[in-house]
Amino acid sequence: MAESTLDARQDARPTAGHVTLERVNTPPAQTWNYLRANDITLTVPVHSRKGDVFFALPRLFEGVECGMGPTVTAWAESQAKDAHYVEVKAGEKRKEPIAAQEDTGVMVRAGAEATIVICTQPDGPVQDTTAALVRVIAERGARVHLLEFVCGGSDQRLDSVGIVADEDARIDVRQFFLGAGTTAAGLAVALDGNRARLDLTCRYLGREQDILDINHVVRQRGRNTHCDVRESGVLDGHAKKSLRATIDLVHGSSGSEGAELENVLILSDDVTNKTMPVILCDEDDVAGNHGASIGSVGPEQIQYLRDRGLSMQEAEGLYVRALFDEALICAPTPQTRAAVLARATDVLGSEVANDLVDGLGLRDAEEV
Amino acid sequence: MSNQLLRVSGLSAGTEDKPILHDVSLAVGAGETHVLMGPNGAGKSTLGHVIMGDPAYQVSSGTIEFDGKDVTEDAADKRSLAGIFLSYQAPVEVPGVPLYSYLRTITQKRPELKMTARKFRARVGEIADQLDMGSSFLTRELNVGFSGGEKKKIEMLQLLLLRPKLAILDETDSGLDVDALSVVSRGIETYRADCDGALLVITHNTRILERLKVDRTHVMVQGHLVAEGPASLIDSIDEHGFEQFEKASAVAGGERA
Ligand SMILES: Nc1ncnc2c1ncn2[C@@H]1O[C@H](COP(=O)(O)OP(=O)(O)O)[C@@H](O)[C@H]1O
Ligand SMILES: [Mg+2]
Repeated sequence: MAESTLDARQDARPTAGHVTLERVNTPPAQTWNYLRANDITLTVPVHSRKGDVFFALPRLFEGVECGMGPTVTAWAESQAKDAHYVEVKAGEKRKEPIAAQEDTGVMVRAGAEATIVICTQPDGPVQDTTAALVRVIAERGARVHLLEFVCGGSDQRLDSVGIVADEDARIDVRQFFLGAGTTAAGLAVALDGNRARLDLTCRYLGREQDILDINHVVRQRGRNTHCDVRESGVLDGHAKKSLRATIDLVHGSSGSEGAELENVLILSDDVTNKTMPVILCDEDDVAGNHGASIGSVGPEQIQYLRDRGLSMQEAEGLYVRALFDEALICAPTPQTRAAVLARATDVLGSEVANDLVDGLGLRDAEEV
Repeated sequence: MSNQLLRVSGLSAGTEDKPILHDVSLAVGAGETHVLMGPNGAGKSTLGHVIMGDPAYQVSSGTIEFDGKDVTEDAADKRSLAGIFLSYQAPVEVPGVPLYSYLRTITQKRPELKMTARKFRARVGEIADQLDMGSSFLTRELNVGFSGGEKKKIEMLQLLLLRPKLAILDETDSGLDVDALSVVSRGIETYRADCDGALLVITHNTRILERLKVDRTHVMVQGHLVAEGPASLIDSIDEHGFEQFEKASAVAGGERA
């Protein structure tokens, strides 16, 4: 609810014109220049802020690296009405998810647990551009679940997220980039404290003329940190996807391990799929498998599905349906479920979309 | 003999550069239980996959008939819908597809099994209980990160859900601990009792057969079916191994060369 009023308010403000954000969403090391996919340039609206008095986040958040980079941070800060600051007290297990808005900072104190949700609003008039800038500080031993649902509602969507994790903090992030149009999303996670841990899953769908530009940066600075990054998605039509995934094993991160793996299913010859996995390593004693690899849905998977009665097309369609099933399974609030469902209805039709909801027993739960 | 459910006649098949099966003939009647044994590398799994219609293998001669129709040229999904089910020796991991989405999709595909989502959930829950599976597995990715035993249970879950006319169980018992083995055996019994389906059981282990009434036993060596007999043939293999048949196969191979 809060978000839709916010969007309406944003709409009501006069647009003073547009500005170009040059070469944003960049990876730490630009080693893949020949692919020409190191960044994206976006034209975004600017609203006049003359005379506004607004609330900014505590200074501490200025130090949090955000995935889309400082240019986007500056633009998003200048456009957000008020920054939204939430603090979860030490040891508190906060049940109610925190709905992150345009410019949000969340402080999760030592030993606390919180769920943070970023979600677009697919109903209502389609906007030109929407954005979220979300910064999170997870103190020692904190547990943070961050859920990101991009399900449409604007032609262009920017999500820039930064998380800093102190000792023994555990972060899990689930991203669902399912919307139409352009989605540019950057996530930077700093595992600063010893034994800090990140589990990141990212699911994406690109169809028609969609553009997906994803930047994942994990800085492993503490000792014995652990990160596991899994991306997978389906690309169809003329979709263009660039994924930059960097695991940076900084000097001093001894005993740390990081792994990244992407699986992509490509359903059309007109798809442009670029993936740039990079492991930066300035530390000898990084244990285990810190490898990056690109997988794809192979003939064994397809054959298994065909052996159980699905045609080639149905097997491929299952992967698309699965994206929405998974998003619904993870969606923690009626609002996020509605957003996923609205998008599922667009993509899969209402019969299948309703089947998702019925099948997962969500309808029953919602009615009660 | 025309009342056979599955009839494989003079089947030779292999990969592009390697013949694996040679002149294989075998027939399974509706509701019968057959056992296929043979040393590692004999071609048992290949036979299962060729009957299922895996395009990784090419049929160079012979035919496969199922339920009165020649299916030799049919795609795997068509054979599946006709009622053939192959439980994989090593079930494939399918990242990106939650088990729930998968089960729902393969069930809705079959007109005779179509049901409301609510009924479907109840049905899956019931089978999962029979197989001692808990419920959290439904939201996990298909076969990803499951133990060997769990993967075999997921195959059994599909068997009971899809109710095929013929189930080919490729070493469903291998690598299972005692508990998992008894759960899986019970699953097979339930399939026999509820669906009156036919079975072609590929196994090295006679334990899984203890609770089944075996109608026929086939022995494969080096891509040839070298012996066929009653259930008692299993005991003889248990005692003497495959050597007796390997010699026969060497002779057969020699004659061919
Ligand atoms: N897809 C394949 N590509 C190449 N060789 C294969 C393939 N499938 C089976 N084979 C070969 O065919 C022979 C029979 O294998 P298989 O059918 O798995 O035997 P079994 O199940 O009896 O142990 C083996 O030598 C195996 O290596
Ligand atoms: Mg085998």
